[in-house]
Amino acid sequence: MKCMRQAVVWTVFASSLCAAATGLSGCYALRGSSGGGQTDFSAPREIKVADIALPEGYRIEPIATGLTFPTGVTFDEKGSVYVIESGYSYGEVWTVPRLLRIQPGSEPVPIASGGRNGPWTAVTYHQGAFYVAEGGVLEGGRILRITPEGKTSALVSGCPSWGDHHTNGVIAGPDGWLYFSQGTATNSGVVGEDNAKFGWLKRKPEFHDVPCRDIVLTGENFESANPIAEGSSEKVVTGGYVPLGTPTQNGQVIPGKVPCSGAVMRIKLAGGQPELVAWGFRNPFGLAFSPDGRLYATDNQYDVRGSRPVFGAGDLMWQINFGEWYGFPDFHGADPLYEGERYKPLRGDVPKRLFEIYPGRPPRPAAVLPVHSSSDGFDFSRNPDFGYMGQAFVAQLGDEAPDTGKTLAPVGFKVVRVDVGTGVAEDFAVNRGKTNGPASWLKTGGLERPLAARFNPEGTALYVVDFGVMMHHGEGVLPRTDTGVLWRIARTKEK
Amino acid sequence: MKLRSLLLVAGLSICFFLLLACGSARRGEPLTGRSSFSEEAGLGRIAFYAHCDQCHPGGEAGLGPALNNKPLPGFLIKMQIRHGLGAMPSFSNIRVPERDMDNIVNYLKELRR
Repeated sequence: MKCMRQAVVWTVFASSLCAAATGLSGCYALRGSSGGGQTDFSAPREIKVADIALPEGYRIEPIATGLTFPTGVTFDEKGSVYVIESGYSYGEVWTVPRLLRIQPGSEPVPIASGGRNGPWTAVTYHQGAFYVAEGGVLEGGRILRITPEGKTSALVSGCPSWGDHHTNGVIAGPDGWLYFSQGTATNSGVVGEDNAKFGWLKRKPEFHDVPCRDIVLTGENFESANPIAEGSSEKVVTGGYVPLGTPTQNGQVIPGKVPCSGAVMRIKLAGGQPELVAWGFRNPFGLAFSPDGRLYATDNQYDVRGSRPVFGAGDLMWQINFGEWYGFPDFHGADPLYEGERYKPLRGDVPKRLFEIYPGRPPRPAAVLPVHSSSDGFDFSRNPDFGYMGQAFVAQLGDEAPDTGKTLAPVGFKVVRVDVGTGVAEDFAVNRGKTNGPASWLKTGGLERPLAARFNPEGTALYVVDFGVMMHHGEGVLPRTDTGVLWRIARTKEK
Repeated sequence: MKLRSLLLVAGLSICFFLLLACGSARRGEPLTGRSSFSEEAGLGRIAFYAHCDQCHPGGEAGLGPALNNKPLPGFLIKMQIRHGLGAMPSFSNIRVPERDMDNIVNYLKELRR
């Protein structure tokens, strides 16, 4: 009898333990989203460096404030600092894209401006000229060459940039070529209602993803409402890599071409046809060469949205090999989306396979970064005086919950350093507070949405481009002008 | 043993673990200084970043809940890894081998300190 009582007690204790464990784990399905953009903001943005934590021996200072949607930073041979302002933000807000020289203690000096074809997403200075990746939501993506006097010409045009993601990441390679990247039109290969929310589908209803090489489809199709037919209850059926309302068939071939979606490409400084470097990415936003000359990319991964939503896919950092295919739209890293239930949304199906034949098997990523962190522009430390030699410093714009999927807490909104050998990503610059989050969420004067990070030519200081306030309340994006900041991080005692 | 006593044991157990969970989940070099780990935990750290960090960044909350402030015993962590729970997928022995799982548990225990 005593044994039985003890058994009952232990059973109850174990059950309580399990109940506590479950409770402590948090029930994802029952909890609301708590993304970093789900906040309110009143201008002006407060700047307070004490609200930002760094490893011991480092300091941070604002170099420029009041910028509108800044996205990139570069340096000329004299060490002068230049920033680009995007000219476009999610939320369908257009301003003027600008290249600015930053002068400590005075207003930025405009060097060049663009038209209504933002967002300008990246800039690099190389051999006497600036090269800008122009996102091209209205006229298609371009790579621009801008002289120091502001004269602008296009090296590449017509990149498939009218969709969710844009032309990005221009950098100069050690081989003398310019490398750039192109994001996909869609979340996971299928045009649907979510693309109308971005704003582009009504402007360009015939647009869809463009493969770099010929692909063979499984013929999986997806039914959705027709967001173009306003007020109608009409349904449409859409396959992969085709316009909205176009079904596909098993064995159907979609011809490839370059420039294409979800790719890294390169072009000679003199211009000409772009050449494919690698493909099968989703949104390869940031590009950088490591100190030993290997090319790496950050790749924003799938969201829980649209006709083919994908759950729980962390952003990736890749080492880029020439000619390789990296898995979009059927893989996350080396893992197929359609096997098991790992990528199944809580309310939805396991993502169905789109490619009948694979161009290859994707390699393992160099690092897996947090889901929805929007891990973007990055650079490698090259100078032992700064420290962390060979590690990649990655700016994380932060989540766009609930529009891209629910999160239980803000994700990103900081700079991390990644050991590309082990895949370990440690915080480097992060806001103080009880939890992680952007300054507007924490109500402090720290980091908001870091989008790019680049070392100065000497490698002694890391410049962090902070896009500024961008809120998400589930009914569209609310970016705020004049809230962008350029930060500079260096050792406390610079050598 | 009366029902009231059993309920008391259950209630106290839950309260005990909930109270232990009230600490901050925040870690990382900028906030808490550089950490050092045992060899097993160091290997667990690499495995954690390959499999767990994307939903629990640095052991904090993200897509999923925080881990650093949850005093779950090792066997429950392992059970959750193998069988999943709620939105968390299960990880098979092929994906996360037994030794990696042991190392992850060691890493989480050292990270929680």
